[in-house]
Amino acid sequence: MTDAPLTRAERRQQRRMRRFDNPWINPKLIWGIGLLLGIVILGLLGRMLWNLDLVFTGSTPLKLPPVGFENLRRQEGVWDYPLGTDGSGRDLLALIVIGAPNSLFVGLLASLIGMSLGIFLGFSAGFIGGRTDDFIRVISDVMITIPPLLILVVFQAAYGDVSLTMMALLIAAFVWQSPTRLIRAQVLSMKQSGYVQMARLSGASTMHIMFREMLPNLVPYLFGSFIANVTTSIVTAVGLEVLGLGPQRIPTLGRTIYEAINAGALIQNLWWWWGIPTLMLAVMFIGLLLVNLGLDEVSNPRLRKL
Amino acid sequence: MNALTITDLSIDFPTTKGVVHAVSNLSLAIDKGRRIGFIGESGSGKTTTALAVMQMLASPGFVSGGSIDLGGTDVLALGEEAMRKTRLRRVSYIPQGAMNSLNPIMRVEDQLWDAIVAHEGKTDRTALQDRSDTVLESVGLPARVGRLYPHELSGGMKQRVCIALGVILTPELIIADEPTSALDVVTQRHVMQTLKDVQARIGAGLILIGHDMGLMAQSVDELAVLKDGVLVEHGAVRQIIEDPQHPYTKDLISSVPLVGGESFLDAEVGAPPVNRGKDGVPLLEFEDVRKDYGAVTALQPMSFKLDGEVPKIISIVGQSGSGKSTMGSIMLGFNPPSTGRVLFEGQDVARMGAAASLDFRKNVQAVFQDPYACFNPFYRVDHALKFPFKRFGYATSDAQVQDKMREVCVAVGLDPDLILSRFPHELSGGQRQRLIVARALMLSPKLLIADEPVSMVDASLRATILKNIYDLKDRYGISILYITHDLATAYHVSDYVIVLYQGHIAEAGPPRDVIGDPRHPYTQLLIDSIPWPDLDRSWGSDTTAAEDAEKLDAMARENKTVFRGEIPGFWLHVADREVAA
Repeated sequence: MTDAPLTRAERRQQRRMRRFDNPWINPKLIWGIGLLLGIVILGLLGRMLWNLDLVFTGSTPLKLPPVGFENLRRQEGVWDYPLGTDGSGRDLLALIVIGAPNSLFVGLLASLIGMSLGIFLGFSAGFIGGRTDDFIRVISDVMITIPPLLILVVFQAAYGDVSLTMMALLIAAFVWQSPTRLIRAQVLSMKQSGYVQMARLSGASTMHIMFREMLPNLVPYLFGSFIANVTTSIVTAVGLEVLGLGPQRIPTLGRTIYEAINAGALIQNLWWWWGIPTLMLAVMFIGLLLVNLGLDEVSNPRLRKL
Repeated sequence: MNALTITDLSIDFPTTKGVVHAVSNLSLAIDKGRRIGFIGESGSGKTTTALAVMQMLASPGFVSGGSIDLGGTDVLALGEEAMRKTRLRRVSYIPQGAMNSLNPIMRVEDQLWDAIVAHEGKTDRTALQDRSDTVLESVGLPARVGRLYPHELSGGMKQRVCIALGVILTPELIIADEPTSALDVVTQRHVMQTLKDVQARIGAGLILIGHDMGLMAQSVDELAVLKDGVLVEHGAVRQIIEDPQHPYTKDLISSVPLVGGESFLDAEVGAPPVNRGKDGVPLLEFEDVRKDYGAVTALQPMSFKLDGEVPKIISIVGQSGSGKSTMGSIMLGFNPPSTGRVLFEGQDVARMGAAASLDFRKNVQAVFQDPYACFNPFYRVDHALKFPFKRFGYATSDAQVQDKMREVCVAVGLDPDLILSRFPHELSGGQRQRLIVARALMLSPKLLIADEPVSMVDASLRATILKNIYDLKDRYGISILYITHDLATAYHVSDYVIVLYQGHIAEAGPPRDVIGDPRHPYTQLLIDSIPWPDLDRSWGSDTTAAEDAEKLDAMARENKTVFRGEIPGFWLHVADREVAA
């Protein structure tokens, strides 16, 4: 028994060494991915195990608290609706099972489209240069100065109901600028590097140089930028939804919060109505943040600690 | 009284693959006013030792044993604040890349004042001005340089500003970490003379870190030879150079190529090279090629014809800014000439169709200066060999590609099993540069442009790599354009030498004439500036710097070319020529 603490310390040391050796075994990255996967799994399992008809108005008793709590009318939470119900008789668990993956989906899709646009424009600007570069730079710089929420509010107010995909497309129009600038800068510096010169000497085509020689080296930047964009997109989407814009008939976390605020959930002390969706959003953002920090450490060995 | 005493110093770096002993049990003493050289290859622990003296070891390195005594103070026991006060005031550090060590947005004198204020507190403005002017003058710069920003200075001037910064508080010890490695020979001589001069005046100890035995011989009193963190030899410079004891020291001394000395190349010539040229058409031809960058003419009009029938090595020699690299990139077709034409086997390089262009690429290859940048970090190193081989249509099967790669690796002295499946960062600079030579060999072009192929490689490997390149010519019939600033190696490898000065050909001819017996003052200056590992040979005195500057100025105006003879298969022409026998 006397050598137990020593071996434990040794084991810890070994674990640290392993982590140093294989940067992908990064606790931040693993936790972040775990949190995000948790939301996806919640959505998948929920769809299989829970009665999703409970998201329709009036399908449940009103304003029931989560299990183990009482509401102001001294009603106890029941296991039929474990997370409680909202002011118009919808089950919160069902709302979250559908809404949380929806919010994540909008963020991922918007960011994916924005990134693709950014990669294409960034490479064009950096590689072709000249007029093309000037044009793309001016457009992206101008777009950066326009607050996206302002345009989106006007747009959605004018067109009313939109689908989730439509909303993702709209947001994507505002998240391509920073990847464009980032990639353009990287491409400009990489164009001068020895290995690109070597590839040119090897008779490589422009496409080969761009996608086989340069792009792989950009992967860490792209990942980082992608995750940051997902966060921005989700914030924008939730912002619109909380203002009552965005999809009207599809449950999302932001819309649930909007309805809770609108129905006076704050003064009636219906904390679960707005609290649980907010908690889900917090989990989502912490997950994204951890993934971003983790990727940073993976791609930048100097941040790694032994 | 010793300026610095190091006793049993050991420095460890913990890494994933175990602890690396960067320095083991090193003991050394430096007297005040003495100059000591630390010589060794990269990774031998010379910089690490110096940084430990300043408590500036990069994490995760740490001193694992021994002591460092700086004029009576135990450096390792000093706290953060005490160490800060010690740095610069008692021990100063002159870094390798002066270009990056000065703050680009501050005037030179502001940076000098910063140093004084940080150590002596608030000081009167006129006193500051006086001191910065004095220190700039002491390193041979006019006081008005203080009002300039770093980008307005040349490399040599920046390095002198760094020296001024290092001596402004008259420290007991100066550590100069390869202070001249980024400079050309002429500037190197001036900067080293300045450094020696200032050091002698303030009576400080000097540690000069470097890998050039010639420079050491001309600059220091004592020499410490380091290998893998161990001090293998230490003694007076004359004793070490004239009677080295350790085999490694002998290697270092013999690896310095000398003009007129014994050749490091094998005398025996292999099988007679194959004729790979097209009859009657020169392999490469410059027709009045001239290159301008804005208002600056990087290359004055010149014409030459290079026959491919008998492979040759043509050396292009010059300082940085002489236009030699511009010439290389014009030949590679990366950089179109401003006027004139470049013809490859009779075809204009700028106007080639896709097929001809691919053929040009197949036959004109290059070895670049920086072996670290030449490999894509994403791929294993065999990508750099495999890809062009397939792209140029030489590959018939994967097994054939693999066999060919192994063959060329062996030809340049690398073990294919150890090397080919590695990632670039796992190989040393020398190994990478040999792989690039292997790549050239695998593609077997008709013309290879080698742009400073060994300037970033450790001295002991230079000879081997140059030998590999030389073999390309003899055994495989590849003509080579060797671009370099090193006259000694050009002397040995080349069949013809062109000396460039400010885009203009100063002297051209066979190496034995041009380098062995230079007629143009510029070539003479270049040769005089080479530091020789021979203590009895003078390396110029303090006054030469000013004279040299005048000479260079006069030459820039004169623009004459001295022709020293021709060799068959290479024909050179410039407008204004003077033929000397």
